[in-house]
Amino acid sequence: MPGVSSAAAHRDGNVNQSPCPLTASRHTVADLQALQALAQVRGWSDGLPVMPPTAEAVHACLAGALLTPDHLIGIEPVRERAISAEKLAINAVMAGCTPAHFPLVVTAFSAMLQPKFLLHGATASTGGAAILVVINGPARDLLGMNGGFNALGASDPAANCIGRALRLALYNLLDARPGEADRSTLGHPGKLSYCLAEDEANSPWPSLASERGCPAQASAVTVMAAGAPRQLMNEWTRNPEEILDTYVAEIRASMRHYSIWAGNYAIVITPQLRTHFADAGWSRADIQAYVFRHARIAREEWRSCGKGAVVGSRGNETYCALTAPDDLLIIAAGGPAGGFGAVIPPWLGPKSRAVTLAVGACTDCGI
Amino acid sequence: MSFEILDPTHEDQGRTFQLAPRLTSLDGATVAIISNGKKGTRPFFDAVEERLVTQHGVASVVRLVKSNYSAPVESGLLSEAARWHALVAGVGD
Repeated sequence: MPGVSSAAAHRDGNVNQSPCPLTASRHTVADLQALQALAQVRGWSDGLPVMPPTAEAVHACLAGALLTPDHLIGIEPVRERAISAEKLAINAVMAGCTPAHFPLVVTAFSAMLQPKFLLHGATASTGGAAILVVINGPARDLLGMNGGFNALGASDPAANCIGRALRLALYNLLDARPGEADRSTLGHPGKLSYCLAEDEANSPWPSLASERGCPAQASAVTVMAAGAPRQLMNEWTRNPEEILDTYVAEIRASMRHYSIWAGNYAIVITPQLRTHFADAGWSRADIQAYVFRHARIAREEWRSCGKGAVVGSRGNETYCALTAPDDLLIIAAGGPAGGFGAVIPPWLGPKSRAVTLAVGACTDCGI
Repeated sequence: MSFEILDPTHEDQGRTFQLAPRLTSLDGATVAIISNGKKGTRPFFDAVEERLVTQHGVASVVRLVKSNYSAPVESGLLSEAARWHALVAGVGD
């Protein structure tokens, strides 16, 4: 290929001038344009330009997370493929991550590799889920993350780069490219990056991560195999039940039109709506309990949307969207004005479970 | 000015897969079919089974279904693999 030459991995450490040598193979490219061409031809990229994963940049990323190149992030169990910090860092650099972003990329990928996340199924399925990533804790401020305006759509550089790093790592480390291991029928735009920070500063509640067991002062990441967000609007009431009835209606619609099976749902509650919950003294648990009680449909309802063929003899059977109230992830995010909200449905029922990890937590020993 | 970059791929690290020895004939063989369990696989594998028996002389067909179509097959389902001559892993929707 013009402008590119490749070499086998340097394994002697002489090149890196480091006690922990990088072992990835190296390619010499003539310039940035040659890099972009190489990334496209090799399928390394999502189609957007990539940053050069130089040894210097990769070492800096690893230093940002205090990791050696050979540190084991985890093992993808289906292919028994070990994910090293070096390879994850290379992909993070390509996605535009800075060293300060990398600890969050590491934490998110570690969470994705937990067995209950079922990463292979979630990324290979025709269902087309993307990895929703929610950032909590001091890292949000450190990285200038904005859980406010445009929270679900390219809100800030850190959110874009962290989410994209996961996608590129899935491409290059697990072959989850469209038509290869990623067999999504449709997918959705969140596959480019589906990352946001929770707006903790303007929330009446403890953070999502602390609700899910992480220390309140820790930076943390929650990952969920998720469908596209379904936007809703109700700015004509201050009554928490009525606001939640709108969310519940959207969840029930997803159960009818997409999948009836219970699993993790996420709901995004914006500042204008959060005000009404705060005024009424509603906690996260109150919201979860209300949704658990009301987000239910009868199998018979499938008839109203063209799915009568699968109602069978159990038409009166009732299905709940959640296996338990705490299946509902409540995310405080969004710009200050507008009575909007969003429901983010699970990939497919309980097959993949949302995982929350604190940055620096040990997934083997639970510390 | 040229510069050096690192390869972002797995570089074939990890388990390597090998094809099982090929059979020269299915005559008298025991063939297992592992379905992912989706509804559409049933009529398809019914037809496959019929053809294996009537057109290729297969002695018996073992039908297995994964409990979770998004997850790898349970190791228990493969425990009898040594008794099969061939295995078809089927994915359907």
